[in-house]
Amino acid sequence: MCFLPLAAVNADKFLPMVKQLLSGLGVSAVIFFLTLLFALPLGLLIASGRRSKWAAVRWFFQLFISVMRGTPLMLQLFIWYFCPFYLFDIPLSDLAFCGIEYRYSAVIIGFSLNYAAYFSEIYRAGIEAIPRGQYEAAFVLGYSKSQTFFRIILPQVIKRIIPPVTNEVITLVKDTSLAFSLSVLEMFTVARQIASAETTMMPFIIAGVFYYIFNFLVAGFMAFIEKRLAYYKG
Amino acid sequence: MKLFTASNIKKSFGKNCVLRDISLEIEKGEVVSIIGPSGSGKTTFLRCAAMLETPDSGVLEYDGVTGFDNGYKIDKKSFIEARSKFGMVFQNFNLFPHFSVMRNLTDAPACVRKIPAKELELQAKGLLEKMGLGGRENAYPCELSGGQQQRVAIARALMNQPEILFFDEPTSALDPELTLEILKVIRALAAENMTMVIVTHELEFAKEVSDRIIFMADGVIVEEGRADELIDDPKNERTRAFISGFKK
Ligand SMILES: Nc1ncnc2c1ncn2[C@@H]1O[C@H](COP(=O)(O)OP(=O)(O)OP(=O)(O)O)[C@@H](O)[C@H]1O
Ligand SMILES: [Mg+2]
Repeated sequence: MCFLPLAAVNADKFLPMVKQLLSGLGVSAVIFFLTLLFALPLGLLIASGRRSKWAAVRWFFQLFISVMRGTPLMLQLFIWYFCPFYLFDIPLSDLAFCGIEYRYSAVIIGFSLNYAAYFSEIYRAGIEAIPRGQYEAAFVLGYSKSQTFFRIILPQVIKRIIPPVTNEVITLVKDTSLAFSLSVLEMFTVARQIASAETTMMPFIIAGVFYYIFNFLVAGFMAFIEKRLAYYKG
Repeated sequence: MKLFTASNIKKSFGKNCVLRDISLEIEKGEVVSIIGPSGSGKTTFLRCAAMLETPDSGVLEYDGVTGFDNGYKIDKKSFIEARSKFGMVFQNFNLFPHFSVMRNLTDAPACVRKIPAKELELQAKGLLEKMGLGGRENAYPCELSGGQQQRVAIARALMNQPEILFFDEPTSALDPELTLEILKVIRALAAENMTMVIVTHELEFAKEVSDRIIFMADGVIVEEGRADELIDDPKNERTRAFISGFKK
């Protein structure tokens, strides 16, 4: 049965379809890279807030992480999208950034904060796995606190967290499709539009192949980094 | 000349009073071993001396520079200067696993004291040669035996040219054969007049390498004296019991 709609696609429709999906893939990729760009450092910040010596700061970040992880990402996207209007009465059209609609910014904010929360827990586990002796040796050798963190601790943390980060990053590739909920023109939204206009499931299959290839490359890249860091054990 | 003075050091962990009034002076060039039963506070004292633990009260002075004074605020400059006076060798080495042997030695002085890399590499090569590790500059710690790692750790501590070296059971994580390598190095350092304080369970080694031995129990110094005298002819009942327990 399901081959009927496939057969209905002929060659002169196939190429434009792929082209449209590729432009959607471009948007998905932008969401992906911007999310990583913001979420990876932000996660580190949240992890350090989570380990702060002030209890209030710790609790704040703990609450933040628990809300980010305990509610659906799609719901978070809606909240980031609508809250300027409902909470502050700012018309969403005023929030366009460099001529780009606010919905795109909302997607980036939502993804970045959500993934930062997940990354922060990975960082925290990684930081806590570093033996205390490393800090003590660094202290006695005269390193300052920030030198200790950036030269001694963080490089070892990065090596340890590559596998869990790889998992998150692969999930992120697939999660970019959630942006369809704000009608952002990423690949899944495009696929849905074509599918309903042309009554075919071909776009979903092509999009699936594209997601798979995207993740294949991502996994390959992460494996490459893991290999680069395999020059020592520990 | 006194290189290190600890006066009336007290330290509790919660209700557990671990150091009850420890006072100790170390002369330049002196090698002092600290022995005593498990839990007597040896490590805690050494960690206080290395500023890794903050005493509850007392005074710590390093070559005339105050590093701790009854909890009064020490200005940052003297704190850093005091810290630069000593080096520490840990029981389990604590080498930086992501750095090569060379980088383990050169990174801290390059980054803390801003000494040019060329100079440091020369110095490091010389030290490694002396430790019997010539040619291992590019190895990573995980590729070395425990004894080799501990020698790298000693070389790393020496790179900062400390006045005094603290050792916390430098050989207890090692097989007996490897222990010998470390003892050789410590003996060589002693011959060069390096000032050292060594916490150890190896009485024979302590007797052989140190000028003075301190016997600690329950957070106090029970007895101290010339190395051979304290081991062969302890005056205090508890010292005697401890040492005869070991000889069996
Ligand atoms: N960070 C800490 N927190 C709480 N208690 C501690 C801490 N460090 C040490 N202690 C306690 O202090 C006491 C002395 O410990 P310490 O490690 O100084 O003994 P030690 O003489 O070095 O013993 P060993 O010969 O077994 O190494 C022990 O009772 C130990 O449980
Ligand atoms: Mg100990």
